[in-house]
Amino acid sequence: MANYIPTIGIEVHVELKTKTKIFSNSLNGYGEMANSLTNVVDLGYPGTLPTLNEEVLSLAIKAATVLNCKIRKQMHFDRKNYFYPDNPKNYQITQNRTPIGYDGYVEIEVDDTTKKIYIEEMHIEEDTCKSTHRGTKSYLDFNRAGVPLIEIVTKPCISSSLEAKLYLEKLKELLFYSDISDCKMEEGSMRADANISLRKKETDPFGTKCEIKNIGSISNVALSLEKEMLRQSKLLDEGKTFKEQTRRFDDKLGDTVLMRVKETGNDYRYFPEPDIPFVILTDEMIAEARKTIPMLPAERKKLYLEKGLNEINATKLIQNRPLSDYFNELIKLDTNYKTASNLLLGDISAYLNKTEKNITETTLSPARLKELISFIDDGTLTSKNLKDILTEVLEKTTPIADIIKNLGIENITDDTALRDIIKTIVSNNLETKQDYLAGHDRAIKFFMGQVMKETKGKANPKIAMNILTEELNK
Amino acid sequence: MKYLNKDITEINKLLKEKKIKPLDLVEEAFSNIENNTELNAYITLNKEAAIKKAKELEEKEVDNLLFGLPIAIKDNIVTKDLRTTCASHILDNFIPIYDATVIEKINAKNMIIIGKTNMDEFAMGSSSRTSYYKAPKNPWNKEKISGGSSGGSATTIAARDVLFALGTDTGGSIRQPASYCGIVGMKPTYGRVSRYGLVAFASSLDQIGPMTKNVYENALLLNVIAGHDPKDLTSSKREVEDFTSLIGKELKNIKVAVPNYFMSDIVSHEIKDKVMEVIELLRKNNISVDFIDVKYLENAVTLYQIIAMGEASSNLARFDGIRYGYSKENPTDISDLYYGTRSVFGDEVKRRIMVGSYLLSGENAKTYYNKALSIRDDMKKEFTKVFAKYDFIIGPTTTTTAYNLDDKMDDSLKSFMDDVLVIPVNMAGLPGLNIPIGFSKDKMPIGMQIIANDFEEAKIYQLGSFIEKKLNLNLNPRGDE
Repeated sequence: MANYIPTIGIEVHVELKTKTKIFSNSLNGYGEMANSLTNVVDLGYPGTLPTLNEEVLSLAIKAATVLNCKIRKQMHFDRKNYFYPDNPKNYQITQNRTPIGYDGYVEIEVDDTTKKIYIEEMHIEEDTCKSTHRGTKSYLDFNRAGVPLIEIVTKPCISSSLEAKLYLEKLKELLFYSDISDCKMEEGSMRADANISLRKKETDPFGTKCEIKNIGSISNVALSLEKEMLRQSKLLDEGKTFKEQTRRFDDKLGDTVLMRVKETGNDYRYFPEPDIPFVILTDEMIAEARKTIPMLPAERKKLYLEKGLNEINATKLIQNRPLSDYFNELIKLDTNYKTASNLLLGDISAYLNKTEKNITETTLSPARLKELISFIDDGTLTSKNLKDILTEVLEKTTPIADIIKNLGIENITDDTALRDIIKTIVSNNLETKQDYLAGHDRAIKFFMGQVMKETKGKANPKIAMNILTEELNK
Repeated sequence: MKYLNKDITEINKLLKEKKIKPLDLVEEAFSNIENNTELNAYITLNKEAAIKKAKELEEKEVDNLLFGLPIAIKDNIVTKDLRTTCASHILDNFIPIYDATVIEKINAKNMIIIGKTNMDEFAMGSSSRTSYYKAPKNPWNKEKISGGSSGGSATTIAARDVLFALGTDTGGSIRQPASYCGIVGMKPTYGRVSRYGLVAFASSLDQIGPMTKNVYENALLLNVIAGHDPKDLTSSKREVEDFTSLIGKELKNIKVAVPNYFMSDIVSHEIKDKVMEVIELLRKNNISVDFIDVKYLENAVTLYQIIAMGEASSNLARFDGIRYGYSKENPTDISDLYYGTRSVFGDEVKRRIMVGSYLLSGENAKTYYNKALSIRDDMKKEFTKVFAKYDFIIGPTTTTTAYNLDDKMDDSLKSFMDDVLVIPVNMAGLPGLNIPIGFSKDKMPIGMQIIANDFEEAKIYQLGSFIEKKLNLNLNPRGDE
């Protein structure tokens, strides 16, 4: 098989997380009873007209910003005319000539270098309804009709399935993080189409391209591209030509399947939507929308590493947006961030998962967490203690110091009492003392275990260790 | 006893004093309509609901001039629970589940909807003969057309069935039938009246307007239907004034322009003579009238065809038999459903969908539609220039009087030429009013249109009412009232 250079372009449709639909006041929701989120506008009833949901503009401005796009301040909508049962008006309201965003890029890390994936344009449009085919019948659910979408189109600048995968992961992270979309591919709130062609040399013209439609997951995008490269290169090796075509990825088959050959370019008879006047995006609107963009993952990671977190904790925190937001608040306070990240990702996460709560739904304010950390750092609280009091710490507002007192788990920090216990243990285990003095490390662990057993874990480990070392060396 | 021929303030007084009931007016309207069934002005009558509403109103306070008065609605304006066909086979069974904004406004004033009037199919035509329900007849001569597309509304007003009707005007469809039938019809400024619930023909041109027997009543009805509607993004936020407020006020320092094109050879001598008489009348009353050249008027029809048909081809795509309206039974597949359902459109509708689709196809959109939009802007600018110097533009509404029902149906281009004088107003989004100014030798009404700058409807009514009063014509086809 000869070596070919693939040229890949990706189109992504993302459903915007708005309260209502783009052109009507129906709710924008998923998983509701079929056709329960519809009204006369969504159904394309005669005489109905679109209104324009301002929230869509705001989210689209945000998206354009995080994708580093330029924003078109004067834009309009266009009608894309085609007949299909899932298209209630038999035209879709979209943006053909004046996409809201253009000339952007997304950065990915590939082979330890940063590559820019260029965004050709990003436009706003309405989703179609969902059709299901059973036997000879087709069923239409208009709940999705009129859900706002943005379509993001890259330039043909992606050169491997890995880059495609990294691009989609990055895109998902950016859009999800900015509260623009749920980006759930399994629910269809993010959908990808990929175009791919092969050629032998960079200087050759582009080869015949095939489009793979509606791929259900990011890993399947990568897989389908590989399969498609294999299929195309085999044909090219055999000296065969093929027509521009649309294919889909068959999950069970694990390969792409032909849908239709593109005979001539589609004629969508685009023209400016006369029911929606030109939209002017003012500087105020743009600034207002941009204000709601949170700190993005790359910046968070840099900050967390600077604050002394390890790579794993930093990455894990970022993956959990609410926890990461909480951590950003905590960073404003002076505390031990490393301990904080361990706590948040460990016991606290376990509690949150079990109770299905968000960190902000607990009583643990960043200030309270700082208080808790101070008791851990000075040795007052052991990890076992922490487990005992965690529920109270997260559900009550009692000061941490009082919780410690009330539960009687106050550690034995009284030197004399502790020294007596340690002396007894040492005198009962003189053989092990000899082992210790002979330099066996395990011996000290044994003694500490005994101390903790005797004190039911209430001994302050640091103090106990100091006394123990003294006693053993006597 | 007849009441609907009385002055509107008198009817209102009788209602207030409980000397008559809304039901008397409704029954009189239906009796009129039943006596005039051969005029074929209506597609659907709303008798049962109208009588019920009239009875309900007996309990209510008479709080406005239009309270309890019957009104006819053109059948392309959706009415909840009342069949709305657009005079098309494809919507023959269509009963809307919501009210157009203008209908909500009419209901809020407690007017009573008497029925849905006949029209050209989807408002495509200028003689109402493309109606699936056959054409209405002109009350002045039943051999003649009423004009179109709001032919049924013009007919029922001219026949004095009711006092009020709504029409729609995309390329003259209120003013032209108003002229042919000898009534008053206003095409308001684009954006003045909400289009929500008007079944779209050409979205950037369509406008709903009032059709009445006189200027004052026309202004009263515009008061009811005008105003911003958040459901229609093209509706104007401009405050609505009382459109009757200038009626009867003195016209001072008024300058009127008559485009030379409006008085050229395309217009019949009879009509030009009548318009000249009005011009003389104005001059006698210290109103200056200049004949001027206005650019682009002769291009308006061509531009109109491109824009209207392009938009129509898209607007009518929704009639696919899936969600409402006629649907082909037992289709073999989706194509069969589409073809089988959409084949019931009439010839004129099919012609416009096909031409419109062609005009938007591929590069044609740039060559035709976009270019038409840009020349339309220039046309608007040209009108703005005229209105910087003049208060009004006047001229004939039509080139001839109403022609015979059996004339020239096959010449689709000729039918656009019927509207050559009214279309420029739609293209520029301006308000335009037709008022009757006399009759031809064969006793058919002749109309004149008064055009003013955007949102100057009140001023138009002022001049219209002035001329109406001076001419003092008997505009009842039966002549005896």
